[in-house]
Amino acid sequence: MLKGAVHDQPTTVSKTAADLKARKRRRERAANLAAYLVLGVIAVIMLYPFYWTFITSLEPTGNIYQAKLLPSGVSLKNYVEVLTGTTVPFWRLILNSLIICTAGVSLTVTLAALAAYPLAKMRFPGRDLIFYAILVLMVLPNEAGLIVNYITTIKLGLLQQTSPVLDAVRQYAAVVLPGIASIVGLFLLRQAYLGVPIELIEAARIDGARELTIWRRIMLPLALPTIVAFSILEFVAYWNSFLWARIMLPDKNLMPLSAGLLELSGTFSTNSRAVMAGAVITVLPILVIFAFGQKYFMKGLEGAVKG
Amino acid sequence: MRRLPGMTTTQRRESRRAQHARGGAGARVTVRSTLIAYAFMLPFLALLVLYHTWPVFFGTYLAFTKYNIISPPEWVGLENFRTLAADSQFWSGLKNSLKYILVVPVIQLLAIGVALLVNRPLRGIGFFRTAYYVPVVTSFAVVGLIWTWMYQQDGPVNAVLGALGLHRGGSLLNNPLTALYAVMFVTLWKGIGYYMVLYLAGLQAIGKELEEAAVIDGATRWQVFLNVTLPGLRPTILVCSLLSTVSAIKVFEEIYVMTQGGPAGSTYTALFYTYSRAFVDFQYGLAAAGGIIIAVISILFGLLNFKLTRGGKADA
Repeated sequence: MLKGAVHDQPTTVSKTAADLKARKRRRERAANLAAYLVLGVIAVIMLYPFYWTFITSLEPTGNIYQAKLLPSGVSLKNYVEVLTGTTVPFWRLILNSLIICTAGVSLTVTLAALAAYPLAKMRFPGRDLIFYAILVLMVLPNEAGLIVNYITTIKLGLLQQTSPVLDAVRQYAAVVLPGIASIVGLFLLRQAYLGVPIELIEAARIDGARELTIWRRIMLPLALPTIVAFSILEFVAYWNSFLWARIMLPDKNLMPLSAGLLELSGTFSTNSRAVMAGAVITVLPILVIFAFGQKYFMKGLEGAVKG
Repeated sequence: MRRLPGMTTTQRRESRRAQHARGGAGARVTVRSTLIAYAFMLPFLALLVLYHTWPVFFGTYLAFTKYNIISPPEWVGLENFRTLAADSQFWSGLKNSLKYILVVPVIQLLAIGVALLVNRPLRGIGFFRTAYYVPVVTSFAVVGLIWTWMYQQDGPVNAVLGALGLHRGGSLLNNPLTALYAVMFVTLWKGIGYYMVLYLAGLQAIGKELEEAAVIDGATRWQVFLNVTLPGLRPTILVCSLLSTVSAIKVFEEIYVMTQGGPAGSTYTALFYTYSRAFVDFQYGLAAAGGIIIAVISILFGLLNFKLTRGGKADA
């Protein structure tokens, strides 16, 4: 009796334990399945509009707005139409966007990288004052910003039209200038500089290096990951922004792609598929950059909020 | 004759932190080094003042003037505010702006839910995180156009609503009763991935230990969420709802692309009114006054957010 009881107990315990484990595993599997289901539905909601626009842009004819999983036909007709359209020169818009992004990103990153250096690694009167003033500026409400910046742009003479080449330079400047002083960028770079060992800078200073040399030879290489991340974020921001350019630019031929796309949707109202093709072309570079630089977006975003 | 400022540290050892604060042991404040520091910051500060600081002050001043760019601003006191108070268009815009705040709790709750989902250690979860973030990196110009097409009468949105038995016939964007909510959905769709990433970071900062301890103590999953996860997320919730509220009150781009304030003024917001006064009517003083009212409302709702999340303190 006694012997049996002693023998019996471990088996029942292990049996119920195994039972519990199996039940837990089953429950987990069911929970995971439910999670995948919900995740899948949300993914469809997030991605289908892009997919639908893409396949519709490939169709030569048919019921344009219909919900569909596959295109009714495939041709590049709409792409040819949008790229050769005469009302808004699409190639010109792409060129505008490239110029605006190149100028915007390089200036934004350079100015933030320069300004962050003394704030992180130099000692001078007014340092804390400037730092906190910029912090306050970040939270001050600026609802009239767009309006006053428009007035400023006019007063600077950037929207004058005299000669074609000068006009283009001035209007590109008008698009880019308001966005160049990036407070987020300043904070990101200051944070990156703070991590650079002070001994390195001291050693260079003792060796008689100029501050600009220290910045270029020590700070920039060591902050490179942050600079790359910030550049990618800024490229996407410049590529995507359209409101400012569309509101104030007098010459439609100088608009960036995303602003020109709206212009296009007005002129191409007879063929929305051509506008869809334009939308696909506009999104494509961003998707490629996002696919390759995904981690930078997530990191940059967290950094920006922690500021 | 090289200075050797490094020697001072050997005599008086400073903490590394203090050294950092001083900008390095070798940095002595001289007129020259101060000038160099300001030279580094000059281009940035010049543009910052011109395009960020100046608008705050000049915009506030303009609100009390009549201004059309051509002639100098003419001081009119509170007249612009009186004009706004008497303009029913401004009031209905304000009402729509306030209605738009409805999107904030929805987007935050959904973003927390999605963050909890993508925080699970599932195979292929990276794909879902990426997928949800794609709308965030897409321009509102493109997003607005895509959804304008999606919302067409015979488009996919109505097809889905029809399949669910909710079909109303026309396009949601053409119906004054639904247009604002249809635009809100686009805001939600585009913004959810952004907040998801922030909440994900918040969740990962909480750490597993606390939650596991609660589970060992016999707490149910829901209790753990309510008593451990949610309080731990409170700082993130504050930041996110602040961002979300301010951008809801200032919603513009999606409306500009999709409805232009219509149909029948149903998506006409206060900021739309303000920009129309400036860029259509060239009444910059009146527009600036509208901007100030929107700013004041933003601040009030920001404070409300602080109260609701108890200042975002994690341990409350």
